[in-house]
Amino acid sequence: MVDPTRCGEVADALAEVATGAASGPDRARVLAHLADCPDCRRELEELTRVADEVLLIAPEHDPPAGFEGAVLARIAALSDESAADEPAEPVTQPVAEQPPAPPADGGPDAVVTPLRPRRWRRILPYAAAAVIAGLGGAGVVWQVTSDDRDLAAGYRETLDVANGRYFHAAPLLDDAGTQVGHVFLYQGDPSWVFTVLGDTAEPGTYEVSVVTHDGTQTVADYEVGRAGGGSGGTVDANIYQIERIDLTGSGGVTYTADLSDDTD
Amino acid sequence: MSDEALLAGMAAGDADAMAAFVRRHQGRVYGLALSVVGVPAIAEEVAQEAFVRAWRHAGNYDARRAQASTWLLTITRNVAIDVLRVRRELAVEPAVVAEMLISTTNDTDRVADSERITTALRALPREQATAVLLSVHFGLTAREISEQQQIPLGTAKTRIRTGLSRLRAMLEVSHG
Repeated sequence: MVDPTRCGEVADALAEVATGAASGPDRARVLAHLADCPDCRRELEELTRVADEVLLIAPEHDPPAGFEGAVLARIAALSDESAADEPAEPVTQPVAEQPPAPPADGGPDAVVTPLRPRRWRRILPYAAAAVIAGLGGAGVVWQVTSDDRDLAAGYRETLDVANGRYFHAAPLLDDAGTQVGHVFLYQGDPSWVFTVLGDTAEPGTYEVSVVTHDGTQTVADYEVGRAGGGSGGTVDANIYQIERIDLTGSGGVTYTADLSDDTD
Repeated sequence: MSDEALLAGMAAGDADAMAAFVRRHQGRVYGLALSVVGVPAIAEEVAQEAFVRAWRHAGNYDARRAQASTWLLTITRNVAIDVLRVRRELAVEPAVVAEMLISTTNDTDRVADSERITTALRALPREQATAVLLSVHFGLTAREISEQQQIPLGTAKTRIRTGLSRLRAMLEVSHG
């Protein structure tokens, strides 16, 4: 069926799609029109090139010392992770109960170009000082996002549908600071946390506790086998208020995700 | 080595290519991130994430569609905007930043290939240049621009569309 929307009626929205700022409904309206309009497809392509060139205007600034090493350390860690996690992290919960994994961690929606870990280990000494920061501190802010504009819009639509506003993620570490899993946090109605332990975690039963300034709330407990596992639950707090998430195992082991840097 | 060759190397898992790519573009990526989010620590995280995504998608880069630098800056902008949408307190005065971006005070920090677009933006009516920058740089919708600039929604839409179209015409002319 031919889309009845005329070119002039989508011209304004077309410009906003080119700049990347269009709202979801505007984007959908334009895309519906483009399906039947080669002229507007060409127009969008040209305007997008112009909009992208506008980004060149930002002045250069030297990043803080160690920036390059931090980037390479993150990539080296992700490369090792993706090589070790084939297939992706095992989760014992039914698929329908799992949250959508943020793609920045190599979740199912991420397009990850596999790298050979050996080649990346060569740069680890060079970047070693930044590894912990790369895994722990950085990366939590943008877990809400996806790898490109379209996917980001898709996530935002998903969050809108679910009355949610915010995805957040952080590593779960053991006492030695070694990452054994992830926590995913969702700000919505209701808000929830979901924890995933990999196969390096001790098998056993784990209790998931959410620690805020006002106290501790147990949100789930679950069994973790040798292949790892995951579970979570709703939480009666703004996720910005969560200082820490503890997983306390039946064997006495405790894993912690420290979110104190992210609380207001 | 060209950016395209470095990206091909990155896609094949070459750590040295990635290191060279980061070294070549880090100032520009960090500069863009800083101009959007305004806070150095967050700009650093945004810039790091942009390079991680560039590494992930290096195999999908298509030189026919965009220069490597604009491709990388688009990734950076998208990461920065997504951060802004979560942490709206960061975007305090985007209109002021937009004005600064086209002012001559930044000229010493500009990269050579930005001369064309800088000249074209300065040739636009100031309100159109600002609307384009707010839309492209900060990801503000026409509605958000109309609220921030206290202008009718239709005016904001027209400024973005007309500004972008005029830029295209000027850039086509400068291409010769």
